[in-house]
Amino acid sequence: MSNRILEVSDLDLSFTTYGQRTKVLHNLNFHLDAGERVSLIGQSGSGKTVTMRTIIGTLPMPPGKVENGSIRYEGRELLTLSRKQRNRLKGTGISIVLQDPLLSFNPVLTIHRQMDDIVRYADMRNNKSRSRSARRSHIIDTLKKVQLSDGEHILGSYPMQLSGGMRQRVLIGMSLLNNPRLLIADEPGTALDVTTQQEILNLLNTLVSEEGLTLLLITHNLGVVREMADRVYVMQKGRIVEQGTRDEIFASPKHPYTLELMNSVLPLYGDKVVDVADTHHEENAIEIRGVNKIFSRKIGIIRRKTEVNHAVKEVSLDISRGDIFGIAGESGSGKTTLAKILLGLHKPNSGDVTIDNQNLDGFQGSTEFRKTVQIVYQNPGSSLNPRRTVADQLKVPLKFTGFSPENYHARIEELLDMVELPRSYASMYPHELSGGQKQRVAIARALSCHPKILVLDEPTSALDVLIQNSVINLLHRLRDEFDLTYVFISHDLSLMRNFCNRVAIMFRGEICEQGRTRDIFANPQHPYTRALLSSIPVITAEEERLKPVVSKAERDAVLTTTTELTD
Amino acid sequence: MNDGPMIKDETVRTLSSGQMAWYRFKYNPSALVGVFIIISVIIGAIFAPWLAPSPESAGAHVDFLNRHSPPSGVYLMGTDNVGRDIFSRVLFGYRVSLGLVVGVLGIAVPFGVLLGLTAAYAGGWTEWVIMRFTDVMLAIPPLAMALAVTAVLSPNLVNAMIAITLLWWTWHTRLIYRIAKGQMAEDYVEAAKVSGASHVHILFRELLPNCISAIAVKTSLDAGFVILFGAALSFLGLGVQPPTPDLGTMVSTGSEYLPEYWWEALMPGFAILYVILGFNLLGDGLRDMMDVEL
Repeated sequence: MSNRILEVSDLDLSFTTYGQRTKVLHNLNFHLDAGERVSLIGQSGSGKTVTMRTIIGTLPMPPGKVENGSIRYEGRELLTLSRKQRNRLKGTGISIVLQDPLLSFNPVLTIHRQMDDIVRYADMRNNKSRSRSARRSHIIDTLKKVQLSDGEHILGSYPMQLSGGMRQRVLIGMSLLNNPRLLIADEPGTALDVTTQQEILNLLNTLVSEEGLTLLLITHNLGVVREMADRVYVMQKGRIVEQGTRDEIFASPKHPYTLELMNSVLPLYGDKVVDVADTHHEENAIEIRGVNKIFSRKIGIIRRKTEVNHAVKEVSLDISRGDIFGIAGESGSGKTTLAKILLGLHKPNSGDVTIDNQNLDGFQGSTEFRKTVQIVYQNPGSSLNPRRTVADQLKVPLKFTGFSPENYHARIEELLDMVELPRSYASMYPHELSGGQKQRVAIARALSCHPKILVLDEPTSALDVLIQNSVINLLHRLRDEFDLTYVFISHDLSLMRNFCNRVAIMFRGEICEQGRTRDIFANPQHPYTRALLSSIPVITAEEERLKPVVSKAERDAVLTTTTELTD
Repeated sequence: MNDGPMIKDETVRTLSSGQMAWYRFKYNPSALVGVFIIISVIIGAIFAPWLAPSPESAGAHVDFLNRHSPPSGVYLMGTDNVGRDIFSRVLFGYRVSLGLVVGVLGIAVPFGVLLGLTAAYAGGWTEWVIMRFTDVMLAIPPLAMALAVTAVLSPNLVNAMIAITLLWWTWHTRLIYRIAKGQMAEDYVEAAKVSGASHVHILFRELLPNCISAIAVKTSLDAGFVILFGAALSFLGLGVQPPTPDLGTMVSTGSEYLPEYWWEALMPGFAILYVILGFNLLGDGLRDMMDVEL
């Protein structure tokens, strides 16, 4: 078969760590034909990334070991190739786009230097030689392929001077420099905002059709798969449990794991959407009036300039008691700053915040305040101290809100019961727990001194979808049980649709739209909200139909493009 | 970041972090050698009066009949210019060296760690003052400082210890400052503040536990250098005064008889090498085991 690009057959792989051998890939079989877009999906830990690294040959061996099987690229066996022959294929045969556009660059070298190195070393490996200027024009041509027309300018920049979306484009450009036939993309755009991700996905699609590339897409996001793949392989625990064309998989998933994955994706529109009812409390838990927060810092040594960042502009909000109030926005929109103002960690430059009928000015810092507002952080890995046991960490708020020490033990057990963790977990350290369990501990800590309001700062974004849903259910239950008010901060609009009864959309420090969740999603008014909603990858045709349609002109009017240098 | 291959076969039992650390340590031959050396030195020092073939050599003993005897079955490391058994003196010399380590590090480490933690946590002016003072102390050449201190006071073991201590805390301040400063950005510190935790709580319960492994590694690496520095002072005549046996003094005295009576300088020199090697191997082993960067 001449057009088979990659064929992996009967691949078994194991790792040896601490003297124990663990099999991580079991009898893997899959293939890609020329021009195909194939997607490998699964949760974290399913072996997707290991598979990718085995294919490109960057998996450290040992501890890894291929036990069995073969990987063929255009009919050539890769696993038995010498190091040198294999390196020759890198970039020219198989190329890769990594997940994080910032970590993939060396921050102290210009883009030109980094791209030029790739061309130069590939030339050396393939016994070609080109002049510096020939290489440069080749690089600029390649950047045009990723729709970066201002190549000259970009090449002179450092990675930090480019926006996230632009870095991702440059990264894709880098992988195309040596005209590969197979492009492997590992979670492309996942680290970016949803509107930017959309652009990146479109770009990859264009490249496949125009450059005749073959694409292997590794992702956990089913919405992305629906837009990007012709065929799909579903991986679970190192095995491929289901395969088929995209339409087959989405229309009639057969394996229980695939079904579970499908069901865990929260719907944005349609019948399955859960409407969260308003609670009928009249009083406001939080009132925010005309709040501004300006960060300024002095830069330079001799002629000191002041760099000003107006993070929150004239924000006014009313949050009723019992609300699950969502604050949505992309990174840099000021949503986290607003949350920190609510917690008294930042002082607003102007405006008033009233929490539980008390002005924040005199209220913050008091024990009473701590018993009113608490926070759950985004990343349980960093919000729990790695060197302290669960019980120790739950004890901290108790100790400093005047709980009597003889009641600590009983309260800790009560808290663990509340978040559905076994009581024996009290003596464990965070690294012994899974991500979801850690987040439960963080929730328990926030609840330990009976707060009335919880600020949830992206509480599920570090978790897998399946675990995310269980945490969300827990939060719903706790709200009903303890009559809590949630301020939910997130960039995940699908989650917000199903979790919040009211939402506010933040855009560059301002609230551009707020109201009941159902109304906002059904009839978004602000062009930014429309652009945001239209960018979300969804998994059914029905949702696709119900999403707002935004023209390119409309989109460009509110969003900064990732194809041109600003400033 | 890659997600990591965290799939386990059902039969595999999960290792606790303690077991993993022990595994790393066990399969690190140099660390084991280091532990063996340190233990042998400690035993030798504690039981010197019983282990030494001639305990009286530790003092102002004179045996002119046997002076300058080369290493042999009777005198493992030979004898010195007044006929004292060098091996016995080395064992007693280790007592002085280890005493120096305990004295210096026992004061310098807690002091340095406290300053580092305070600077990182307090920020602002406190941070500026502490860290600039540390920088100033770091800028003083160690030997010049030690010379000054021992010259002003009188040259003896205690003053040498004071001189070394005055210099040593700075490294710990810088190290802990850096680690604690990194932690200040972590959410758990903010979470503790939101919970109303006191300053003392955050310093010693939240920040300090995360510095312990770095402190342990740094301290064990330091031990070797403290011994070396102490020996250097004694060599210059600023440390321990005769007839108390000290490795540095022995090298110094022995060097006058080089090269004919080579063992008199070389054997104490090897003894210094041995113990420093031990501490360094141990320190490297701990570093691999606890996975810290210095």
